[in-house]
Amino acid sequence: MIRVKALSKEFGTVDNGNAAVLALSDIDFEVRDNEFVTVIGPSGCGKTTLLRIIAGLIPYQQGEVSIDSRPVTGPGPERAVVFQNFALMPWADVLGNVTFGLEVRGVAKGESEGRARELIKVVGLEGFERRLPKELSGGMQQRVGLARALAVNPQILLMDEPFGALDEQTRRLLQEQLLQLWERERKTVVFITHSMEEAVMLGDRVMLMTPRPGKVKEMIDVPLNRPRSRDVEKSPAFIEIKEYLWENLRAMQAAQP
Amino acid sequence: MKKTTFRDWASRLAVFAAAVSLWELFLSHSQNFLLPTFSHTAIALFNLVFQEPRFWEALYISNQALLVGYAASVVIGIPMGLLAGRVHNMDRILNPYLGVLLVMPVAPLIPVVIIALGLGLASRVFIVMLFAIVFITINTRAGVRGVEPALIEMAQSFGASEAQIWRRIIVPGALPAIFAGLRIGLGRAITGMVMVELLLVASGLGRLLLEFSGRMQSDFVFATLLAVIIEALVLLSIMQALERKVASWAPDISVG
Repeated sequence: MIRVKALSKEFGTVDNGNAAVLALSDIDFEVRDNEFVTVIGPSGCGKTTLLRIIAGLIPYQQGEVSIDSRPVTGPGPERAVVFQNFALMPWADVLGNVTFGLEVRGVAKGESEGRARELIKVVGLEGFERRLPKELSGGMQQRVGLARALAVNPQILLMDEPFGALDEQTRRLLQEQLLQLWERERKTVVFITHSMEEAVMLGDRVMLMTPRPGKVKEMIDVPLNRPRSRDVEKSPAFIEIKEYLWENLRAMQAAQP
Repeated sequence: MKKTTFRDWASRLAVFAAAVSLWELFLSHSQNFLLPTFSHTAIALFNLVFQEPRFWEALYISNQALLVGYAASVVIGIPMGLLAGRVHNMDRILNPYLGVLLVMPVAPLIPVVIIALGLGLASRVFIVMLFAIVFITINTRAGVRGVEPALIEMAQSFGASEAQIWRRIIVPGALPAIFAGLRIGLGRAITGMVMVELLLVASGLGRLLLEFSGRMQSDFVFATLLAVIIEALVLLSIMQALERKVASWAPDISVG
């Protein structure tokens, strides 16, 4: 379980002399085991900062962030991150990229390759093991990113607008594949997005954030049955939550200069 | 990086033939007897290589300075660039000195170096280093700086140690720029080698060049320069082959 309590994060206090910017203020929430939580908010609400703090990539000054009651002090083997811009090594082929996390963690070469091939198959990239990232489409590149994260068999998957850089068709396809994947292997997922459809389609709960400073405005339950397919988009509950999100986000955007 | 095809070679040969024909044509119609034609230069090169034992001796002497000086520039220059690229305090210290080395004209320093180190190999090696090292260092530094921060963060997210980040992300990511520095550095090292021999330490190929020009044997002057160029091209192509092996993923930016 991920527990975030009274978390605040300031930027720019150390040595550049500028006034500190409060990126996150008094954040409180929990993500239960095997739960899929999507996080949505206007730009500047600190959602990516929040994810990076949970990932252990940046420090925080106040509050508590813990995973199964162990405080987060850095990255850990139970977490893996999927990045918005894929973050693939351009010099390594698909196999090399997917084995990265395993090799860093000292898994023997034969074993890590076997595991990587399995995951490459799971994300539907069989036959592309020896291709370089630049030879792949954006959607395929992010599937490599997903396979790399899943390869280390994390308990928690942290996804930072993973489909944000993709075109609409690819994005919808990958959402469906992610849903199928998650049905098979229920990880705990924190998924940042700025798409309302995506937030409702994927999440068990949607966390709505407000900007400047970033705060949690509301946790919204998504009462849609699983396994979900595209059809849920037509259900009244889906439409209602989506509309509700839009009302809020619209008000936040309008309030900005 | 694309492989050089047969067509490339055919085009290159065509350019070469055109240039040589122009050279030959222009000089056979001019009254300037001091400039050698291409055919005279070619004959001189043949004589130099096959009938002039002093040429090989000179080549050997010059290459001592070149290879030792260049190797030292690589061994010192790359780690310095790596550190400057990643360790900010190190960069703050090194930055002004790299700037000085970059803009400083080296030729006027040659006499100073010779006063300090004497007329031997040490001076020549040092001067080759003065010519070459800064280009290797600043390119390496730029290469490290150019590595995507997202990749470093990705590595950290999997719990990679600083050593693993160096080995798996920074060095491979910086390799194309490092190779660019190695190529520029090699060109500069060759310049340094010839310059010191021409200016003050009459040895090696520089001495040969001085002798030939003193005797107005311009065809042999050209031939000697040609020999230097051919050696440089051979060294560059070895480097390119190496680059193709270890950094083939990068867009092709190499010259030579």
